Amino acid sequence: MDQLQLRAIEFRCIQEEQPFCTASCPIHVDVRAFMAGLAKGDLREARRVLDRTMPFPEIIGRICDQPCYSFCKRGEIGEPLATARLERFCVTNSTTVLKPPKLPAKGGTVAVVGSGLSGMTAALDLGRKGRQATLTTSVPGLGGSLRGYPETILPSETLQQAATLLAGYGVILQLATPVDREFIAALPAKYDAVYFDFDEIDATLLPFAVGRPDPLTLSLKHAGCFAGGGIPEGASVFSVIKQVEDGRRAALTIERYLQKVSLTAQREMEGACTTRMYTVTTGMPHLAQTIPADLAIGYTAAEARQEAGRCIHCECLECVKQCVYLREYKEYPKTLVRKVYNNQSIVQGTRNANKMINSCSLCGQCTTICPHDFPVADVCRTTRQEMVRGGQMPPSAHDFALEDMRFSLSSFCTLNRHQPGTASSRYVFYPGCQLAGSAPEAVKSTYQYLTGQLQGGVGLMLGCCGIPAHWAGEEKLFAETMEGFRAELERLGNPTVITACSSCLSIFQEFAGDVQISSLWQVLDTLELPVHPDLLPRQSLTIHDPCTARHQAGLQASVRSICNKLGLNIVENRFNGKLTDCCGYGGLMQYANPLLGAKAAVVKAARSEFDGLAYCAMCRDNLAASGKRVAHLLEYIFPVFEANEPLDRKNPGFSQRHENRARLQQDLLTTLWREPSAPEPEHKKIRILLTQEVLDQLNRRLILEEDVQKVIHQASRTGRHLINPDNNHRLACYKPVRVTYWVEYEPTDQGFVIYNGYSHRMLLPEEKP
Amino acid sequence: MSTFSFIEATSWQCAECHQPLQPTKVNVTYLNSVFNVELMACSQCGFILVPEHLAVGKMLEVEQLLEDK
Repeated sequence: MDQLQLRAIEFRCIQEEQPFCTASCPIHVDVRAFMAGLAKGDLREARRVLDRTMPFPEIIGRICDQPCYSFCKRGEIGEPLATARLERFCVTNSTTVLKPPKLPAKGGTVAVVGSGLSGMTAALDLGRKGRQATLTTSVPGLGGSLRGYPETILPSETLQQAATLLAGYGVILQLATPVDREFIAALPAKYDAVYFDFDEIDATLLPFAVGRPDPLTLSLKHAGCFAGGGIPEGASVFSVIKQVEDGRRAALTIERYLQKVSLTAQREMEGACTTRMYTVTTGMPHLAQTIPADLAIGYTAAEARQEAGRCIHCECLECVKQCVYLREYKEYPKTLVRKVYNNQSIVQGTRNANKMINSCSLCGQCTTICPHDFPVADVCRTTRQEMVRGGQMPPSAHDFALEDMRFSLSSFCTLNRHQPGTASSRYVFYPGCQLAGSAPEAVKSTYQYLTGQLQGGVGLMLGCCGIPAHWAGEEKLFAETMEGFRAELERLGNPTVITACSSCLSIFQEFAGDVQISSLWQVLDTLELPVHPDLLPRQSLTIHDPCTARHQAGLQASVRSICNKLGLNIVENRFNGKLTDCCGYGGLMQYANPLLGAKAAVVKAARSEFDGLAYCAMCRDNLAASGKRVAHLLEYIFPVFEANEPLDRKNPGFSQRHENRARLQQDLLTTLWREPSAPEPEHKKIRILLTQEVLDQLNRRLILEEDVQKVIHQASRTGRHLINPDNNHRLACYKPVRVTYWVEYEPTDQGFVIYNGYSHRMLLPEEKP
Repeated sequence: MSTFSFIEATSWQCAECHQPLQPTKVNVTYLNSVFNVELMACSQCGFILVPEHLAVGKMLEVEQLLEDK
């Protein structure tokens, strides 16, 4: 990712866009922060917000015509916020908190003719920028048409305060000075720039042809002359805040004019503008506007607090609200991608975001929710590829999952055969590695059923589609896996692949080229299904769609149709289909960040209080591990009669899944194809005895029972181990590949009792990398 | 290079050599980094003990630090 790509991606996240009120305000007052201050009763904080943007808060706060009102999102769920009334409350009950600094004088003289609010604003802004401004008016006081407000609304002392403020910034005030054609005609020669406030000065008074002010810069045709204020052509009413906008716009133009730089470049965001902010109000409570008890006085402190408390603090965060990963890292996509970019820019030092990059489930829920399809998953996945290519991928992040994948692709687990007794296949059943690991009986039943139902031969392929390598950013390993799959498929005569796993389906559709792919569910939906009404649960179940089937509407519909045919009572939850969550397996989240993976499963499980029905083996097992009662759909189509209730089946855990895959291959080879399976390695003959507690510990530490067997086998073979004479326990270690495993055990007549297991990656002197 | 000491009293003995373990200076390595540490090991055959608290504690911490370098 380079800077340009970063900016293009960042732009899609709109969390930092202006809220609707600020965007519609001609001077972009941070109304949201103003409301936040008032809502917590912090008047000084609210006043600070006004002081930061408003040139004369004492005046504007009393008479602002609040163009933001009709843009306020609160209007969708109650009336818009009474912003003007709250401004009035704020400025009548507070004094100046923040006084913007005056920059050092930098030359240039400006005449401001007319003392309306736009002239006052222009003079003030120029004074603050260090320009010498002279404000001239023929009347004895400031304000232009503001002087028409009754004393109760706008006390005359506020205009006197404004005069003091202007003088404080070095503005020369020439009050009660005749302004006629002769006076004006002399100005361009005496000053570097001149601003006419049309609120007070009639354009016909100008002795030279000026035309209408340019709307962007307020420049007149006469060089060095600018004008604004009053009621512009086309408008019917006098707008206070428009006066401020014109004065500010003119000051900025004059500043640029004096600096001899472009008057027009990059001024799109000045004045009221549109915003891409996206705020959903659905589900928020409807709240009516607070009406002051005494309309003449306005809000009391309590009323103001209540009214400001109605502000919904418009922001987007739609993805963050649903994504456990973004919440965990306290990021929204724009800040996340920036951290990813910075992480990749580090040449020497610690890459603190590695774990964050590896913790995304790559499920794409955020992208679906985002109004601009922000591609968090793409960013994380392609960054992982970059990390692998650059040799920066932490070895421990995905090692276990990739070893698991290698095992699924080893001679102990794979099987690629035509249907027994046939020499060609029209179809091939591909259950996927996790279904084989979780529910091997369901794989056998499904295969037998398909061979009985479909004509033309149904072959079987046991293996792994390679998605762990794809998720881990291991491009080479993934490409090799895909190549291996295609070669095997070709050897079987390119039959139509029927896969039970939506991850395999998504991978084959995207990467396997012109291979014919069907989902098992869509195939089953066309066949006569075995129905076992007595074995179905009576209660309603909620379906948990897997994240990799997010965009597979046809597949999702088939699953529901099958449930209907079976007679299962299904209730939908809101986070299904396109919006479905990941169970924690996706993107290898649960390996790179086990605690977050567990949280993801809890979140997915909690989307419905009903017992669950999954049709992805990993969803089934992870939801079960989170404590949810959940069954796999195949368990209701092909019930294992002697088995316990499918809803109560435990998460098999890593070791059992390994074992199940290897046994499934052995069983099928010997029973269906009458072929011998590969000889069992020696260490597998070691009988180990574990308590549930020790087994859970091994699972948490990603240590397989087979690793334990390898350690003991190695110790028995070499005699190298430690012994504790106090209790006769033994301690041995072995490094099969990259990880050194330690096991504390005791040989008994029944087998080896295992007490503990732990591992490390650091190499001891005798070990080779 | 400074040596980090992890010597401790231990009941473990080398089963092969029937020897109690002794403090021993060894080099452990990970991702091109070498650390001089003192661990308990068999003085005869050199079998090194990595106790559980070290493997899941300091060692893991250093491994993760190095992985992010």
